[in-house]
Amino acid sequence: MNNAAQDVRRDLWRPLQGVSWRYLAVILPLSLVTLWGLIAWGYQLHHGIGVAGIRRPVFWGFYLVDFVFWIGISHAGTLISAILRLTDAEWRKPVTRAAEAITVFALMIGGMFPIVHLGRAWIFYWLVPYPNSRLLWPNFRSPLVWDLTAISTYLIGSTIFLFLPLIPDVAQLAKHTTGWRRWLYRRLALGWTGSDREWHALERAMKLMAGIILAVAVSVHTVVAWDFSMAVAPMWHSTIFGPYFVAGAIFSGIAALIIAMAVIRKTMRLEQYLTPHHFNNLAKLLLLMSLLWTYFTVAENLTAWYGNEPKEMAVFGARARGVYAPYFWTMVVCNFFVPFVLLGIKKLRSIKTALIASVTVLIGMWLERYIIIIPTLSRPRLTAAWGSYAPSWVEISITVATFTTMVVLYLSFAKLFPIISIWEFKPHDRVSES
Amino acid sequence: MYLKAEFREKETAARAILGLKANGFGPDALDVFSNEPVEFADGVLDRPSRMSLVVVASALTFCMLAILFVRYTQYDYPLVTGGMPLFSFWSTGVVFYELTMLGAILSASAWFLWESGLVRRRGSAPVPAVEPGVICLRVRCEEEQTQLASRQLEQAGATRVTKL
Amino acid sequence: MGAKVSEHRWGMAIDLDRCTGCQACVAACHAENNLPVSNPEQAAKGRAVHWIRVDRYYEGEFPNVRVKYRPVLCQQCDEAPCEPVCPVYATYKNPEGLNVQVYNRCVGTRYCANNCPYSVRFFNWFDPAWPEPLQLQHNPDVSIREGGVMEKCTFCIQRIQRAEEDGSSDIQPACVQSCPAEAMVFGDLNDSESNVSRLAGSGRATQLLGELGTKPKVFYLERAK
Repeated sequence: MNNAAQDVRRDLWRPLQGVSWRYLAVILPLSLVTLWGLIAWGYQLHHGIGVAGIRRPVFWGFYLVDFVFWIGISHAGTLISAILRLTDAEWRKPVTRAAEAITVFALMIGGMFPIVHLGRAWIFYWLVPYPNSRLLWPNFRSPLVWDLTAISTYLIGSTIFLFLPLIPDVAQLAKHTTGWRRWLYRRLALGWTGSDREWHALERAMKLMAGIILAVAVSVHTVVAWDFSMAVAPMWHSTIFGPYFVAGAIFSGIAALIIAMAVIRKTMRLEQYLTPHHFNNLAKLLLLMSLLWTYFTVAENLTAWYGNEPKEMAVFGARARGVYAPYFWTMVVCNFFVPFVLLGIKKLRSIKTALIASVTVLIGMWLERYIIIIPTLSRPRLTAAWGSYAPSWVEISITVATFTTMVVLYLSFAKLFPIISIWEFKPHDRVSES
Repeated sequence: MYLKAEFREKETAARAILGLKANGFGPDALDVFSNEPVEFADGVLDRPSRMSLVVVASALTFCMLAILFVRYTQYDYPLVTGGMPLFSFWSTGVVFYELTMLGAILSASAWFLWESGLVRRRGSAPVPAVEPGVICLRVRCEEEQTQLASRQLEQAGATRVTKL
Repeated sequence: MGAKVSEHRWGMAIDLDRCTGCQACVAACHAENNLPVSNPEQAAKGRAVHWIRVDRYYEGEFPNVRVKYRPVLCQQCDEAPCEPVCPVYATYKNPEGLNVQVYNRCVGTRYCANNCPYSVRFFNWFDPAWPEPLQLQHNPDVSIREGGVMEKCTFCIQRIQRAEEDGSSDIQPACVQSCPAEAMVFGDLNDSESNVSRLAGSGRATQLLGELGTKPKVFYLERAK
């Protein structure tokens, strides 16, 4: 038993020791792309938001698509950590920290976009209620202020949710490292000794936090959805948006998690810990969420089409048959057909196909946000005001940079902290390779 | 003074704890150290907790504070809403919900830090070094009880009993 | 801070049977309100700003084509959908019923523009620039909006304020003043004797997208079908 525990520790600590040339070969170019994204944003701040492709009537474009997309990805941790923790699903254990890390970084990235898309981004803090000499106050009625409270709460909650179970692991790491790492781990360990009082308190806190985080996550993406559905724009003003977006978020979150896990499994040689069993379960969850997403999509589009209300039909026509039809049908293929075939047919379900399906799902979910936002804005109620949208290099740069930023943050995290929670992963839990 | 006993399985550790409790050692004198959480059966080493109560109470408090904050600031600041009511409960309900949850989150983490003892002033009790896979039981006892305690621990199945 | 009861409630009536689609109102509005001038490239991208615009609709096939013109400007809705969604209270209804846009407060989220069913809100994508010598023609009563700020028709609030200071009762926004067909009438809806009140109460008065419940204060007069 002792040996097994030592093996686990050796395997899960190995990625933390030093930086290989392969790691640098990945992280440096990605960091450059991130830097390019920041330069593009600086260009936008200097010259004005007109350098982006947004225009009348499509006042919201890529930035809002990215915003909803990344907040959606942040639901990875929610499902795995919270729901599976609450249901005591044992197989989730090696996966929780990877998922929670995705949540925190996706929230940090997504939370930047409400600032990036502002016309006068330097005064974004006016949405925060603070005493000021001009006696001004934000409008709590506005869904954008709801966004602010919801995302801030979720970010604080997720960071704590990531940090708390990290404490026992960093306490162990502090004993076996030197230099600046030792200093960092000792600070973060908060004097953890591993006593049963500490363990009990931690487990109780985690159980409570799991329930709270779940409630917050559902509300966060509902509030993001209400940015759209509270508006009277045709095909936005739909009651289904809240649940639709939450389901879509969990869907994209699981896809992001599968990708992250497949990558770290190979690059950190964690094949014995992230086994086909885990991927099988996640793949089944992805398939389930795909079916749920399809159900919501059919419900939304079918009712709009059947109702035949002229303003809505203009938007629906643009989506299904008009200018946006290529994106719409690609989205349907990516979100439904590909996962259904690759994951629904048991013979085809494997780690590789789960990875392929997840990548297509992420593409499909990004397109879904695009399909929800842009067609409605391009087909306003007064036909004389119809327009179109094309992104500019600034928006494309920033969008691409968010992906590279996510990878950079994630890789940095995996280099500092064990990506699999060692204390949650008891040796006898390890499922052997089939 | 402190005794340290190491066990390989939680059943033997549980047996030792029950034995010590039968001999008059209270739960305050016993501490179990390990690299993973050890789940004993109910009644072995229960640590009563008020965390749920604290979290619910904080959540409700934050909720009330949020409602009062929004309501009173909407009236205090000379807002021009042009006919919209100054305070609209349902329009701002989301803000109350989120702040309630924030209260629950902050109180859960703060109470965790308190209840675990991580932020309390450290006593002088020595902390044993624990290897992975080992359950370490630390017993605080008087000089006279050392013999009794050691015998209890060895009988229960401790692999090693030392003075800390 | 309840709503102050004001004596005035400004409204407008536009006679669609008189409108020739000449767009004099558009030009006058540009001149009066220091509207930023666009260029062909930006206009093709949908960045041109026209607080009042003339929408043209074609009906029928050649040779029986009919063209209909409708000048669309901010309807100054009594229940404006743009108001509740602004996170910083940059737009609200003032006691005289005008939906005002506070340029200094606007952060540029553009939610109000998305929620306006009439698409009458315009955004300053860049700091405005005027080709020489148009910058000499600016109206000193109207502030220049910087980039990142939303703007829209104000019913020439500067003219209303000037008239109230001078004590005069004859107020005409630039578009109303410049219409050669005298298709537009502006006045106080609270005054039952005013032209606009009479016209708004007439059988020919309709409201654009009235079914949305926005309660616009611009009444379009057209022959009942």
